[in-house]
Amino acid sequence: MLETYPEKPKISEVISIVAHQLKNPLSVIKGYLEVLLSGDFGKVNQKQEEYLSDALENVKIMRKIVGYLLDVSRIEEKKYIIKTKPVALGDLIQEVINDFSSLAKASNCEIFFKKPKDFPSVSADPLRIRQVIENLISNALKYRSVGGGKLEIRLSKKNKEVVVSFKDNGIGIPKEEFKKVFSKFYRSESAVELDPSGTGLGLYISKAIIKLHGGKIWFKINKDFGTTFYFTIPIAKI
Amino acid sequence: MSNKKQKILMIEDDKFLRKIYRDKLTRAGFVFIEATNGIEGANKIISEKPDLVLLDLILPRKNGFDVLIDMKRNLNTKNIPVIILSNLSQELDIKRGLSFGAEDYLVKTDISLSEVVDKVRGWLVKTKKIK
Repeated sequence: MLETYPEKPKISEVISIVAHQLKNPLSVIKGYLEVLLSGDFGKVNQKQEEYLSDALENVKIMRKIVGYLLDVSRIEEKKYIIKTKPVALGDLIQEVINDFSSLAKASNCEIFFKKPKDFPSVSADPLRIRQVIENLISNALKYRSVGGGKLEIRLSKKNKEVVVSFKDNGIGIPKEEFKKVFSKFYRSESAVELDPSGTGLGLYISKAIIKLHGGKIWFKINKDFGTTFYFTIPIAKI
Repeated sequence: MSNKKQKILMIEDDKFLRKIYRDKLTRAGFVFIEATNGIEGANKIISEKPDLVLLDLILPRKNGFDVLIDMKRNLNTKNIPVIILSNLSQELDIKRGLSFGAEDYLVKTDISLSEVVDKVRGWLVKTKKIK
């Protein structure tokens, strides 16, 4: 006879526990690989270094997935907290672009952004909004057009909000999948082909973050190629 | 730097992490002592008088927050610098840890071993355990 649990655990609780349990072994693997790469136990040859670096890169991907899973469980449990303060969004976007510069170069993708002068600060949690910007830039780089990617980021004011747009010339989104884009674990077939390690959680988490800020996030298919993602965020009260 | 080797106590229940930090910190010139649970850790803080404590939070028998609170209440141990090394990364946990008197709060998955060794050295200098 099957035994039943007195209380069925919520899936978000299970996700949270599993994600936390994965963190320790990940720290161990990461540490061991770092020690071997550092040469503490003898110099590694070029091939060994390459393999160890690849393993370390994959640990980083797993760490990101675990972080995403924890975010999802917090969102579902309504325990995802944001702490807002006035943020210079232009500076933040520029910082993220700088962080992505080598990856953009390696991906043959150009990022265009002109920081506007005298632009109002927004009311935001800088870490969380940074996460959204990173996600949108990362997607544009991953799903770029074969001939060379182009991403144009703009800031504009509309009433009491700031609108941020990310226009790419990438592979776009199939029409029949429009409704699923911000769903948990959504990945289009072409996205899976281009980046098998993706989780399909980035846009779901981004939507939750923007919603918690009192903003909106959406996308439009460009007339020529690619997609433009937009989000709004309230201007900080002075 | 003084000639005396500095003593680092790591309170950590994961044997693999203890092993790797034992190797790394010993190679970096420290004396490494370890405890596998909160009670053993609290006892070793008193008996061993380490120069710095690396403290995990989720520990068997006594959690890391309680170990920290107790040692900071004890006049004989309150000046020993503590670096929390945990996988709890919520802002609330970080705030709690620092408010209870830890010098630093590091998230295991976000920091490399070499960075931890640098932090240990940095805090030993700041708290004048190393001149």
